[in-house]
Amino acid sequence: MTLRIWEGRSFGEPEPGPSMSRRSFLRGGTAMAGGLAAMAAALSPLRELSGDDLPSVEQFLQKHYKEMTPRDMEAALERIRGEVEKRYGVRPEIRDIKPRAGVEFVYALNLSRCIGCRRCVHACVNENNQSRDPEIQYIRVLEMPRGTLDLEKGNHHYERPTVPDADHFYMPVQCHQCANPPCVKVCPVEATWQEPDGIVVIDYDWCIGCRYCEAACPYWARRFNFTRPTIPADRLNPEMSYLSNRPRPKGVMEKCHFCLHRTREGRLPACLEACPTGARKFGNVLDPDSEVSQILRTKRVLVLKEEVGTLPRFFYYFDERYPRSAEPAPAPPPAEAPA
Amino acid sequence: MIGPLFLALAWWMLYWSPRADIPRLETAAVPRERFAAEARRRPMGSPPAAIMAGYSHPCNECHQLFQAPLEERRILMQHTHIALNHGLNKHCFNCHDRENRERLRLNDGTLLEFNEVPRLCSQCHGTVFRDWERGTHGKTMGSWDASSGLQHRLGCNDCHDPHAPAYPPIEPLPGPRTLRMGDQAEGAHAGHRRSPLGQWSQSGAAPPDMANPEGGHR
Repeated sequence: MTLRIWEGRSFGEPEPGPSMSRRSFLRGGTAMAGGLAAMAAALSPLRELSGDDLPSVEQFLQKHYKEMTPRDMEAALERIRGEVEKRYGVRPEIRDIKPRAGVEFVYALNLSRCIGCRRCVHACVNENNQSRDPEIQYIRVLEMPRGTLDLEKGNHHYERPTVPDADHFYMPVQCHQCANPPCVKVCPVEATWQEPDGIVVIDYDWCIGCRYCEAACPYWARRFNFTRPTIPADRLNPEMSYLSNRPRPKGVMEKCHFCLHRTREGRLPACLEACPTGARKFGNVLDPDSEVSQILRTKRVLVLKEEVGTLPRFFYYFDERYPRSAEPAPAPPPAEAPA
Repeated sequence: MIGPLFLALAWWMLYWSPRADIPRLETAAVPRERFAAEARRRPMGSPPAAIMAGYSHPCNECHQLFQAPLEERRILMQHTHIALNHGLNKHCFNCHDRENRERLRLNDGTLLEFNEVPRLCSQCHGTVFRDWERGTHGKTMGSWDASSGLQHRLGCNDCHDPHAPAYPPIEPLPGPRTLRMGDQAEGAHAGHRRSPLGQWSQSGAAPPDMANPEGGHR
């Protein structure tokens, strides 16, 4: 079989022997090699695909969360139970918990009290079955110089023998569950949306992993599963819900969901329960007597990046003064002047 | 001719071409007790009792026999585990009752049970007490829903040591090693002041001086 390249003869004209010149052979061959290389590069992620990453038939045919009937949902939950049991050897208690009427969740965090101990970060990882390797965490604790609120100077990687440091303050950042969420607007497949109680959720079975939402979020709150998450089987939290902490597959987004499997049943988020200082407050903003309503009414409240217009449901607030433990050590008395 | 080329390509892709490695850094497992959902400390009961040799002794068992010494020039011979570091409030009988050691005493002479501590502390810490009553100071456990009956607001001495109420500094849990925060393998201990965006860590420029930030007042 010879490769023939059309060289401008009119149809029907006899071919003058072997038609390919050296020049056209090189040109065509180079173009083909280049094309093949480009194609190989484009297809190369497929090499990483293993059978476990491919969706099952049931998952592939599953409907969007909002279109599922209760029977569809029960089938999906049963499928997830089987998958989790197969992978981790633990039969999870997974449910689909619906939002409560008359509840809108709001989080408040006291910057005067936060000591940057990162208990919340690890309690969240433990509660929500985040990947340990590579590591995925929903909460970032920024250490910033006292007296500034300059995120550019924020440092995630402080390693101190003890916290708090007298010259710094600490600002944990997680999903703000915005009332005007940019991440929801950019999702091309409606895999993420805002629930009636204010929580922005993700259907991990609908997400295509395009990461537009990650780029849109001004709080850097969304995380992508570049690999299949690894969770030690003995650390798996078997209490799960469909929209929150069930194990995620490779290639989907995830983020903080205010522990909706806990909070929709009246419990408190795991990060709040782990906080040793009581800096974290959570509740129903539609209840005028709730703790968060009191904070919004009586405290000096700060909204992070207010100017971007996202209307967060996560508020930072301050006390009248810093606690004494966070005050800088008093300056040593001046040396006596020589007489 | 194209067919074998694609076959060769497929073979190369499967077995030979270099794989793009996703950087993985395993996190040290943090024991669950280090972020346990519980109060920071456990106060003695109400009324408190000393546990000695496995037996519980009420305070008054000793304190009815021994007269309380003068408040001035006081050195604790018993209760030596108490580190008294409560600012100007350094006298036992500012809070404890001299006659009945199983009660606390307000300034006006009212005796309180030990589980009524917030009333005692509110004599001096008015603004904090006001915040605590509203729920804007202190830790709440159980539920966010006050009507559920499960909500439990911790008292002053569930977190603060009454004799040394300032929080002692504690050891932080390990920091992030997440992918987007840059490769932590090199220089994780050297220059760990990185921007979230990795600006200076990638450009090689010196990180800003965190101790002396430009702008802002201290």
